[in-house]
Amino acid sequence: MIRRLSFFLLLAAGLRAAPEPVSTHRFYAAVGMTKAQKNTSTPLDSGIYLRGEDGKWTLFGPRILGVTSLAMSPADSQVLLLASADGIVRTNDGGKSWRKVTGWEVADVRSIVFDPRDPRKVYAATTWGPLRSEDGGDTWALAEKGLTKLYCQTIVADTARPGRVLLGTEDGVYLSTNRAASWRRARFPTASVLRLAQSAADPKLVAAVTQGHGAWLSRDAGRSWSATDLSTATANLYALALSPHDAAQMAIGGWGAGVRVSADGGQNWSDRTAGLPARNIFVLAFDPDAKGRLWASTFEEGTFYSDDLGATWHDGGLYGAYASDFVFLPARR
Amino acid sequence: MLGPLSSGDNPLNMLLNPVKRRSIMVLMTLLMGVQGTLAGAEAGRLSDAEIARRFQDRRREVLDSSVAAVNAADLAKGGYFDVAACLQRGERVDAALARFAKITAPMPTENMFWMFPMVSVMMAGDRNLDARARARIAELWRTYWPSRGDTENHWAMYYSTLYLAAQSYPGAGPEKWFNGKSSAENMAEARSYLEHWISITTSIGQGEYDSPNYLEEYVVALCLLSGWADDPGLKHRAHMLLDYMIYDYAVESLEGYYGGAHSRVYPKQIIAPGQTPAMALGWLLFGFGERQANGTVQLLALSGYAPPPILERIARDRDRPYVERELKRTRWRMRNAGPESIAIGDKRTVPVYKYSYVDHDFILGSTQGGLLQPIQQQTWSLIWRTGLPATKAANTFFGLQPYSSPVEGTMYFGGDWDTLTDMIARSKRDYDTPDKLPGGSPFEQVFQQGAALVALYDIPEGTRFPLVTVFFSRDLNNTDEDASGWIFAQGGPAYLAYRPFAAGEWKPNDWTGLFRSGDAGWVGPGFSEWGTGHRCYVSGALRNGYVVQVAPARNFPSYEAFKSAVRALPLKFATSPAPEATFTTLDGTVLHVKYGAPPQVNKRPVDFSAWPLFESPFGHAKRGSHQLEIVHRGERLLLDFQRNASEQSALPAQP
Repeated sequence: MIRRLSFFLLLAAGLRAAPEPVSTHRFYAAVGMTKAQKNTSTPLDSGIYLRGEDGKWTLFGPRILGVTSLAMSPADSQVLLLASADGIVRTNDGGKSWRKVTGWEVADVRSIVFDPRDPRKVYAATTWGPLRSEDGGDTWALAEKGLTKLYCQTIVADTARPGRVLLGTEDGVYLSTNRAASWRRARFPTASVLRLAQSAADPKLVAAVTQGHGAWLSRDAGRSWSATDLSTATANLYALALSPHDAAQMAIGGWGAGVRVSADGGQNWSDRTAGLPARNIFVLAFDPDAKGRLWASTFEEGTFYSDDLGATWHDGGLYGAYASDFVFLPARR
Repeated sequence: MLGPLSSGDNPLNMLLNPVKRRSIMVLMTLLMGVQGTLAGAEAGRLSDAEIARRFQDRRREVLDSSVAAVNAADLAKGGYFDVAACLQRGERVDAALARFAKITAPMPTENMFWMFPMVSVMMAGDRNLDARARARIAELWRTYWPSRGDTENHWAMYYSTLYLAAQSYPGAGPEKWFNGKSSAENMAEARSYLEHWISITTSIGQGEYDSPNYLEEYVVALCLLSGWADDPGLKHRAHMLLDYMIYDYAVESLEGYYGGAHSRVYPKQIIAPGQTPAMALGWLLFGFGERQANGTVQLLALSGYAPPPILERIARDRDRPYVERELKRTRWRMRNAGPESIAIGDKRTVPVYKYSYVDHDFILGSTQGGLLQPIQQQTWSLIWRTGLPATKAANTFFGLQPYSSPVEGTMYFGGDWDTLTDMIARSKRDYDTPDKLPGGSPFEQVFQQGAALVALYDIPEGTRFPLVTVFFSRDLNNTDEDASGWIFAQGGPAYLAYRPFAAGEWKPNDWTGLFRSGDAGWVGPGFSEWGTGHRCYVSGALRNGYVVQVAPARNFPSYEAFKSAVRALPLKFATSPAPEATFTTLDGTVLHVKYGAPPQVNKRPVDFSAWPLFESPFGHAKRGSHQLEIVHRGERLLLDFQRNASEQSALPAQP
């Protein structure tokens, strides 16, 4: 009980900070578990946490099992979809009320994303296979055509090419050009892909991090890939972030790998873990409202941010959290 | 080596001498075995009405005790099932409602483990719930979002109780429910899952099969539905599946002790098979052992379910040894599924081939080994008839390769490679320890024929715990490390012989001290009672194996005669290049087993493709059949999930 209380008390940590930039985005953290939790099947603190202007984190939405991510409809900022182990949960009123939109068949949702050009199309990666919705997330169907293995935990809807979707699976990266109706394998190693990201600054730049096979970059929107940061070539990399302001800035992180940053498009990488309490990194994100601000979530040792690409770090709260994702969503649309 | 009981021993001295006391226990057990025979035969003659009357007496005892637990003078006592019993009977109603108000005041945190007690009160206590209680119940269903969990038993409990809760609010809209779905939508989702689960279980086999710990969770789900579902079709299917699962238990049990291989078992219960929820249920269902405090026993009593008398007759009929074969499946594998996996719809699993040899005095049972279940698998075990109270007995013998790896965790759970072992060990503290006792291993292959078993191990270099552990209970007597290489021991009225292929050393169980130190968390309390005095034979040889041969003591004039017979059995084994053994069993069967190859019996490979869903003298079910025919002498009970009908009839007299 003491440890659980401490989690909530420490939600407020990170109040002393550099001057906050003017936010045009809301910053959410998806927390699947916390240090206080003793059982993977009974959530205590699992949920989406919203960071306020004052730096405090507050629970946003229901506390349900294994919350992993959040997505906003490009057509309506009141419509949000929450990914969780219990399925997909939707709000149509900005979080005042929630409704589970999936049935028993859907479980262990790890990633969810709207098609940026078509708000009716939504995609999700689950450990039981990818899903797609053609009605804005109200109903869902398995989208497995062309896959050899169904396990997947990361999915990206191409922001520049309509209908194009990238999927990170147990068997590498797969591409779809028909809104997840079918998939074909990209030229990517046989490796479990843990996170994919597309650059907002250069949509042709896509990155992937893997379990035991390092980090990879694609300059042609995911068709072909080349390894980057050879010093982490055998690491389990969970975290990946591409700067929305500068395509040359990128960060990766993983178990024991710490935070590694490149400022030259992946040619050179530097360890920027000094100042963090642990080298186990699960989530990284560049802040779209503060150029150069990088957020990092450690495994249960807190969340931190840096305004100098990891040279120095500041406490960002959420001590004890085992986060799955950082999501910046437009405050108004 | 412990000496045999001498006819000249003074009984008083024997009682004071622990060695001799063990010998007395053996005698007591043998006598209990005779009594058990009488009890079994007696039960076989009991009429249906008499079996039913005895069951109802036990049921009444449970409910009387439940009602007595609620006391207006002390509202700190009494659980949900006690409250439900009061409300169902209309006794101590005011106190029960006051207690209910107290226990439902804080927001729940127990998810599906909150749902079923709550629904039990709603169903059993419906006619005596007052307006205040009803309002609080409705408020909690609206505001508390219980997790569905991540195991088969979690889902069974979640959806059975969601169905019944929604049934209680017909026409309620989404605003009345935590998940924003209407009552009709919640019932439809729950019904769809339950039908799917019933279909898979009765055709492909259960995933979380034959668990002495988790049998009770399925009893919870099914007795609630069979007791209170309004829909007659679902109600009947639930009743049939409850019969089905209780049969599954009865046919592999010995006086209530659940024998053989198990999908899941905890560190305490693997050592103390009498302290399982299954044993507690065995008392209510069939009258075995003593009454043990257990919420599921209370709920089953509340539900009105009564087992068909044929199940008690089967549970007690051990007059002739028999083989029980069953087909189960692994939990669904989401990744690292392996080449041995098969697809069922869009999920992958691996068939589990269960084999149990059930004797009057023991059960030796096994599966083929491998990672068949996450965390708590018991690949094989021997249990024997015991004269000790169930709460004191440690009547078991088994072996394992103590495997712990993210391969296993990520195969069955959706977590991350580097944290899953930690996540598992937070609740199952023994999972990542070398002296663990439950657990499956990908480096273990087991084959059993009759009362003989061969286990082979090929453990790669670098494996976290490169050990093979065989557990020797404190209840074993006359353990003898024979010069022949066999280790002999006596478990009650059963003799066992164990022949390791590579030398090992004796270690106390819990040699890391996890349990002794009190650091085992919620799985450890009471260790000094149930966990001490045992030891393990532990080998660090990477290529290894052993043979186990069991026999009833009644078949031999003496223990020495058994030893002589086993010493004379032809046995050839090798551990390189791959572990391999050829063994002629006591009944003359020749087993040839090689790691990575199909086992052979009398030079013929075993055909696992023909393995039935259930097959024994007491039950028959083909793969994919959705039917189970249960038979006992002149009786027959057909559980037909295709037609949603059960048929009871008398069989023609057998020749």
